[in-house]
Amino acid sequence: MKPFNPERRDFLKKSALSAGSALVLGITWSGEIVAEADATPEFKPNAWLKIDTHGLVTLYIAESEMGQGPFTSLSMLIAEELEVDWQKVQVEHAPLDPAYGFQGTGGSRSVRRNWKTLRQAGAVARQMLLAAGAEYLKAPVDSCQAQRSRITHRPSSKSVSYAELVGRAAEMPVPKGVTLKQPEDFKLIGTPITRLDLADKLNGKARYGIDTKLPNMVYATIAQSPVFGGRVKSFNDTEIKQRPGIIDCFALEEGVVVVAQGTWQAFQARKALKIDWQGGKTGQLNSDNIIQRLSDETAQKPTLILERGEPIAQLASALKSVDTEYRLPFQAHMTPEPMNCTVGVEDGRYRIWAPTQSPTSAMTTAVKTLKALMPELSEAELEARIEIVTPLLGGGFGRRIKQDYVTQAVKIAHHLKRPVQLIWPREEDVQHDHYHPLTQHRLRGSLDEAGNPQAWHHLITGLQSGKYGADALAYDIPHVRVELLRLDSPVPIGPWRSVSNHYNAYAIEHFFDELARAGGKNPLELRLKLLKEARLKAVLQRAAEATAWHQQDQQRILGCAVHSSFGSHVAEIVELIRLDEQKLKLGKITCVIDCGVAINPDTVKAQLEGSVIYALGAALKPPIMLKNGRVEQHNFHDTPILSFKETPPIEVIISRSRLDPGGVGEPGVPPLAPALANALLSAHGKPVTRMPMNLNGAS
Amino acid sequence: MDLMAVTLHVNGSANRVEAESDIPLLWVLRDQLGLTGTKYSCGIGVCGSCMVLLDGMPAKACRITAAECAGKKITTIEGLAEQADHPLLKSWLELQVPQCGYCQSGQIIMAYALLSEKHDPSADEIDQAMSQILCRCGTYPRIRQAIQQASEMMRAKEPS
Repeated sequence: MKPFNPERRDFLKKSALSAGSALVLGITWSGEIVAEADATPEFKPNAWLKIDTHGLVTLYIAESEMGQGPFTSLSMLIAEELEVDWQKVQVEHAPLDPAYGFQGTGGSRSVRRNWKTLRQAGAVARQMLLAAGAEYLKAPVDSCQAQRSRITHRPSSKSVSYAELVGRAAEMPVPKGVTLKQPEDFKLIGTPITRLDLADKLNGKARYGIDTKLPNMVYATIAQSPVFGGRVKSFNDTEIKQRPGIIDCFALEEGVVVVAQGTWQAFQARKALKIDWQGGKTGQLNSDNIIQRLSDETAQKPTLILERGEPIAQLASALKSVDTEYRLPFQAHMTPEPMNCTVGVEDGRYRIWAPTQSPTSAMTTAVKTLKALMPELSEAELEARIEIVTPLLGGGFGRRIKQDYVTQAVKIAHHLKRPVQLIWPREEDVQHDHYHPLTQHRLRGSLDEAGNPQAWHHLITGLQSGKYGADALAYDIPHVRVELLRLDSPVPIGPWRSVSNHYNAYAIEHFFDELARAGGKNPLELRLKLLKEARLKAVLQRAAEATAWHQQDQQRILGCAVHSSFGSHVAEIVELIRLDEQKLKLGKITCVIDCGVAINPDTVKAQLEGSVIYALGAALKPPIMLKNGRVEQHNFHDTPILSFKETPPIEVIISRSRLDPGGVGEPGVPPLAPALANALLSAHGKPVTRMPMNLNGAS
Repeated sequence: MDLMAVTLHVNGSANRVEAESDIPLLWVLRDQLGLTGTKYSCGIGVCGSCMVLLDGMPAKACRITAAECAGKKITTIEGLAEQADHPLLKSWLELQVPQCGYCQSGQIIMAYALLSEKHDPSADEIDQAMSQILCRCGTYPRIRQAIQQASEMMRAKEPS
């Protein structure tokens, strides 16, 4: 798919929102589609924005808003160059359209990949408004300036609003080669601004996928095999269909579907299902044996990720060495909004409300699903019959990159031939997540005579585990080998906030402290000595100052960790307070980030606070456990997330920078668990080889 | 199961609905009355996303039946938000508390109930009340600040 070029008049290809004005597709809160002929002209120079004759600026954001703030931060990029009055900006999810390229939100990429494009989109529009304004004011363009939604002729101070220029600007040629502002000239970027999606999140008006209501809509839910890959053999459909409010009950490849007049009736009927399952891929597997079993079954060998020097020879002849193994468990996403998808069906056309991190993947998935059901139609014909609508997402964290709920909802709608909303109960969500993988880390390291790390060997073994976060060791150690044994997984695995950086940074950063202690070194000072990246060193230095690192004692114990990921550099320091000889409690957590230019500093701060809390929950709370091939947990009572009272004070410090922006949604996650483990190592003298951690030493 | 007629007083208006005797209030609000600001997340009374006010007291809408609510005054986020200049909502906006926003109806309802009972809650009382509502995005530090700020604003208005 070709990327958007803001210097072309690149209108939407598919949506009725296309060129000029003519037709505006509105979706009311009740989900009805209202097509209204709109006679008033608009200025819509590209796929990202339009200005109407009231001066209202509508921005179309092609990244999914799931709380991480792209509605606001990406709007700021456009508005910075458009010189628009922020009070007149409103924002919507962009429709699915090739003009936006691949529409998928993940990898903390939203700002990075839109950084230039969106500023250019705003600058192009501003130049066209300037040309129109100069013409209107009968003045040379270079004596005019754009500011707060007006074009002003500087010498005379005469001005005209964007609203008045809408028709004229649309006639102007699209400029080539616009010049973007230098960072020192930014007016919006870098200022904490009120988020555009907040007002409706305080009054119940915000519409998430699960809030979609269509005329004559029915509610469906599903029961999937507790053992992964199991299939329905038989079930009590006759009994279920006799229940009040039940419209249908049938089996899909994925499980048994119940359709009812209301969500609750569907959920109750699901509980009454008696399903005989057969087969499945995981029946003999437990969290404790899965790595061993899968390693034994496969002939897979580790892949070499990184090697320098002679690590194996050095380790064999080492004077002093450390050998350890960490095992980190499966984790669930626990998005607050459970998986759901709503499909409107009319005359063979499908309109799909998918709270997804990737509308493009939702389309691909829907086409593939319908193709299997209607092989007589070509993929292009099917795509033309499908529209993807992206409502707000009640959390994502990587879970909504997967499209299983879209596949199921499309199948169900095709079966019923009527509008339907599929909602997974929480229990289904916990037992059929695409989990953060279980991983095991064997680490061996040796020290030279002076106690400095000399050799480093890290073998990562895990279910579809990844190398990122371990593929470029941040430390200047002479002999290094990093290997990855990525096992094929019968348990669904997916991206989870910070993906492989989470477990790899844990292994590296906790083992670094084990080595530093074995060599009699202060782990923070040793990091400052061996870190190769100046920006990472700088954030650690800053964190050390903010926490008075050198003023630790028996009552106040600190642990630090650093990690670079998604283009940003983060240091975190966890403080433990000793209550008595046995008991410790969490003190303050300090987090310093260098993310280049911080577009909306308040959002950066919020994302870092959220990342710390997310990672702290994973470190301290019971994880997902596999037993006899099934997930043992069911809901928030046995898969708890961190609560309000368990959250310690968190200080976030953002380094000032004019460098191009890095990601902010995920980089705060990886350093937290190792920083906490390092504080515990300091307190108890024992490494933390398993999660969840126990503050009082029995881990 | 037979349906029964229930009159629910929600946000100041009376709604007559036909409901099963055991259907939780949550689903009547969401599926029948279209009040989707009250959220489903766990369905077992653990997460607090479906918190509403019942005669002014916080109640989890997934754990009470619609029938039990007959004759009581129900306030959902949509009703509470009509007091847009309430110090709590102002603080919530000013401190930019929500991220994904999904749990925020529950958070705001709970904080409102807390501050209605006591304009000056202790840190421990805030802990006890707010730990009943889970937030996956991690907005807790800002919720604490917003409650403290609203509490100060409310006390500043009180006659001394």
